[in-house]
Amino acid sequence: MTIAREADPVAAEAELRNSGLDREDLLTVYRNMLLTRGIEERGHILYKQGKIPGSFYTGRGNEGAAVGIATAMGPDDVGAPLHRDMGVHITRGVEPWRIIANYMGKEDGPARGKDGNVHMADARLGLIAMVSHLPAMLPVAVGAALAFRIREESRVAIGWFGEGSAARGDAHEAMNLAGVRRLPMVFVCDNNQWAYSTPTHLGFATPNIADRARSYGFEGVVVDGTDVLAVYREAKRAIEKARSGGGPTLIECMTLRMEGHAVHDDAFYVPKDMFEEWAKHDPIERFRTWLKDYADLREQEEEEIAADLKKLLNEAIRRAEESPLPDPATVTEGVYAAPEDLDTPHHK
Amino acid sequence: MAERTYLQAISDGLRQEMRRDKRVFVIGEDVGVYGGAFKVTLGFQEEFGAWRVIDAPLSETAIVGGCTGAALMGMRPVAEMQFADFVSCAWDHLVTVAAKQFYRAGTPVPMVVRLPSGGGFSGGPFHSQNPESSFAHIPGLKCVCPATPEDAKGLLATAIEDPNPVLYFEHKHLYRRLKAEVPEERYTIPFGEARTHRVGEDISVITWGAMVHTADEAAEELAKEDVSVEVVDLRTVMPWDRKAVLASVEKTSKVLVLHEDTRTGGFGAEIAATIAEEAFESLDAPVKRIAAPDSPVPFSPPLEKAFIPQVETVASGLRELAAY
Amino acid sequence: MATGTIIDVVMPQMGVSVSEGTIVKWLKSEGETIEADEALLEISTDKVDTEVPSPGTGVVAKILVHEGETVDVGTKLAEIAPEGAGPAVAEPEPAVEPEPAVEPELAPEPATAAAAAEADAPSSAESPGPAAPAAPAVPAETPAPAAAGDSSENGKSFVSPVVARIAAEHGVDVGTIQGTGQGGRVTKKDILAFIESGPAPAPAAPPEAAPTEAEPVAPAAPTEPSAQPTAPPVIANAQPQAAGTGETLEPMNAMRRGIAEHMRRSLDTAAHVTSAIEVDMSKVVAIREKLKASYQKDYGVNPTYLAFVGRAAVDTLHDYPWINGELRDDQIVTRNYVNLGIAVELADGKGLIVPVIKNAEGLNLLGLARSITDIAARARDKKLLPDDVQGGTFTITNPGGYGTFHGTPVISQPQAGILGTYALVKRPWVVQDALGNDVLAIRPIMNITLTYDHRLVDGALAGRFLHDVREKLQSWGEDRY
Repeated sequence: MTIAREADPVAAEAELRNSGLDREDLLTVYRNMLLTRGIEERGHILYKQGKIPGSFYTGRGNEGAAVGIATAMGPDDVGAPLHRDMGVHITRGVEPWRIIANYMGKEDGPARGKDGNVHMADARLGLIAMVSHLPAMLPVAVGAALAFRIREESRVAIGWFGEGSAARGDAHEAMNLAGVRRLPMVFVCDNNQWAYSTPTHLGFATPNIADRARSYGFEGVVVDGTDVLAVYREAKRAIEKARSGGGPTLIECMTLRMEGHAVHDDAFYVPKDMFEEWAKHDPIERFRTWLKDYADLREQEEEEIAADLKKLLNEAIRRAEESPLPDPATVTEGVYAAPEDLDTPHHK
Repeated sequence: MAERTYLQAISDGLRQEMRRDKRVFVIGEDVGVYGGAFKVTLGFQEEFGAWRVIDAPLSETAIVGGCTGAALMGMRPVAEMQFADFVSCAWDHLVTVAAKQFYRAGTPVPMVVRLPSGGGFSGGPFHSQNPESSFAHIPGLKCVCPATPEDAKGLLATAIEDPNPVLYFEHKHLYRRLKAEVPEERYTIPFGEARTHRVGEDISVITWGAMVHTADEAAEELAKEDVSVEVVDLRTVMPWDRKAVLASVEKTSKVLVLHEDTRTGGFGAEIAATIAEEAFESLDAPVKRIAAPDSPVPFSPPLEKAFIPQVETVASGLRELAAY
Repeated sequence: MATGTIIDVVMPQMGVSVSEGTIVKWLKSEGETIEADEALLEISTDKVDTEVPSPGTGVVAKILVHEGETVDVGTKLAEIAPEGAGPAVAEPEPAVEPEPAVEPELAPEPATAAAAAEADAPSSAESPGPAAPAAPAVPAETPAPAAAGDSSENGKSFVSPVVARIAAEHGVDVGTIQGTGQGGRVTKKDILAFIESGPAPAPAAPPEAAPTEAEPVAPAAPTEPSAQPTAPPVIANAQPQAAGTGETLEPMNAMRRGIAEHMRRSLDTAAHVTSAIEVDMSKVVAIREKLKASYQKDYGVNPTYLAFVGRAAVDTLHDYPWINGELRDDQIVTRNYVNLGIAVELADGKGLIVPVIKNAEGLNLLGLARSITDIAARARDKKLLPDDVQGGTFTITNPGGYGTFHGTPVISQPQAGILGTYALVKRPWVVQDALGNDVLAIRPIMNITLTYDHRLVDGALAGRFLHDVREKLQSWGEDRY
């Protein structure tokens, strides 16, 4: 029996009006979700075409959770998303061509070829680049929140982690510190029910990760991750709570990882009926239906959006392909920062 | 100028930086109310408040990872590991996130981690280590090892200013045993610049930290035997002053690399290899290393004495080199 | 604790970085009794103020540090005498001596270069020969880097990188320098001192040295200090060592240095082997007796045994051109003449010189005896000309003047051999009587050695040469001159 609060689904448009999203915003949310999926689908193809080295990860099925949280962030808030959270990068405004350039290891990717796939972030957009050791970014996000608290800024830090990574000490230490100090922090757990091939019952012994929040002194809430507006609602609540000094919240977004751990994994260990069941809850499909029902989304609009995104993606791919590969001679550049490098937007 | 102990110099320096720059804050275990296990931050919380001198839970990862995040946001955090030995709990964050963030994402991580290191007082295996070599090995990190009160203060100011993660190894056995005249005003000492602790002609000793003083005492003995020993204090292990070392070797042609850390893979190996590679034609004897043996730091005094390089051991090694 | 011995009370260490403490208050005075673990005094340190419990039961015998004083951790503060304790006998401290680094063992060096090893006592002798008493080369226990295979063998010839570089920079032959390093190697200090002081002049006529051809002299060293490029100035001349107790120091003169250099170089150049043969000199003795008087009267010349041996040797050399030859680069030089060097001991016994008799092959016994007398006299009177000490092709040395019967001289470079003659000793000898039976006789026997450069001359050749020399001496006819 979960002790975290279970979020209500989003029922009616009326409720939504209170949240401050107008139609434009809603369509933006929709677009962002579509673009997120589009980039990952196109990237998937490019990868299989050998145009992307290394490995390729997607967050298929997590678009709603990612975009929902990110939409609730304020312009000066900071986030440390993970590899299922491409929607966060898109929502914050990272240009698609640079994302694809990053996949390809090109100069123009945010990581400039020094790191690949989603290990990237544009600091100007308030994003912190992830590492592979999950959930290492949680203490880092907590550190950002600490900085905001010390400086008494009304900014919030959001840290993402998966239900599998919750097993590591970093998660515990980060949440503990955030709770002890009531830091302006939101912890987002992408619970897509599979950590590579490890199902949740082999990762933790409580029904939900959000159950742990209480032991750290703050609230945990479980939300349907495929319901973008529900996610948005909870995120907004948590972010504003943090901003006003109410301390952290742990939001657990329930989804299913609709593809393998990475493209090289066919996820044979996931029962077929699980896929079938969750396919019915595709976040984009759900939202499209809701938009039709409550926001008067018309077919023509849909087509325009689709065509626009298609063009955008084609252009992005072309531009990324034209971007140069990094010069081998620069391999040791950037190991150490110089004082001049302290001129990034957040180093004030 | 005032006469200060090594510990006081560090404390003074830190306080000076905190007064000077609001972005500097201290976080660690027992640093606030208690003033730090070694009292380096005694009185700090009273002056700077509880949000700039933060008593953290027992969470090295959260402390160091938190500093990374705060640094990314423009703060200048100074973390204290209660003992250098405990940094292993935060190794992941230093190596995985802090060291690599600028390289990968172009965002500097200007943070300092203070590490009371070194042994000599029966601290045992977990309160006596000198872990600088493992971090010197990680590209992206800097390692600082002051040997004197004056250097300690200046290097700390530089560390806090530096836009990179800096590991500051303060040798706790020097805390109260060393006293010297230290300038009261703020000053910085550049990284990667060695200091000739003692000028000599016949043999060079390359060393850092507490071993600088051991080397000096050994050199004093050798001076009575008409062997003139030069002691070069690296002051920073990463970056280290290659030029100064090579120049000293060029001069004397006989070199002893000395450190308190264990021998195999200790940073002395890197220095010795570099000397052999780049100063081969200046050598009149093999490059010698003296370091602790490859074991955990033992507790019992006779064992610890056999572990930490003693003055007699160093003097003996110097005599061997002189006779070669 | 110990029965009957004093118990020490020491300043404890209250924390890892604490190095001293202050006595705040003694809770007991001298003479008072105290129990083990009972609080004895109060102290104050940087970290904490605390009571110090007594380490034992007894009477406070002595308080050594007083209230208000600050002392280092470990300092003795007081003594407690257990009941019935005797006079203070401090418990011997368990000696905790960490083993210092092992001193390198100075093992005596096994025989190294052939000739050198057999240091038969060098008479201060004429020859450039008496091998330096084999200074036991100390094998470096730290393996000599780079070149050294077996370090003990290479101790003398190992050249460290810096020495090689300096030698190359200054065109110095390291072999010409005396080494003070381990195994006799030339150290950086040695070569820098050598360069600074300039090379030793030729062992020739001490006044006028410098035959530019430099035969028995340090080759190739730039003699003009001015020609040296920026020699590393930092290392000044090797610091003059102070004499140890019982020692006196004197500098080497130029001749000594020249000899030293030459000996070293010769041993390093040639592969020295010595063969010896015993010669029954009866015939020579007899003839000499006959000739002595007339030579003296008619020519003022003493026909010494050296002249006889010299004559026999020169004659024999005709058949053994290689022994009169020279290895020059990759080629073997032979001559149709013999310039015979004769080792001469100088008057003060502190040096030797080897003047050369040119074209000795053209001299008969008288001529040779005369030449020997002449050059020996001129040598002792320091009247030799540079030409007199150059161009030798073979050398004879006579260290037997003091009674020694064997030796292993050092070849005078760049020659291929040197003949040593020794004391004429009466020995019981096996001879044949008229009937061809073996009988014992007393014969004057002289041991003669040929030290040859085995690079050029093999043992068999040397043996045959000595055999032939012996034959000539043993069958000397009265009519031979």
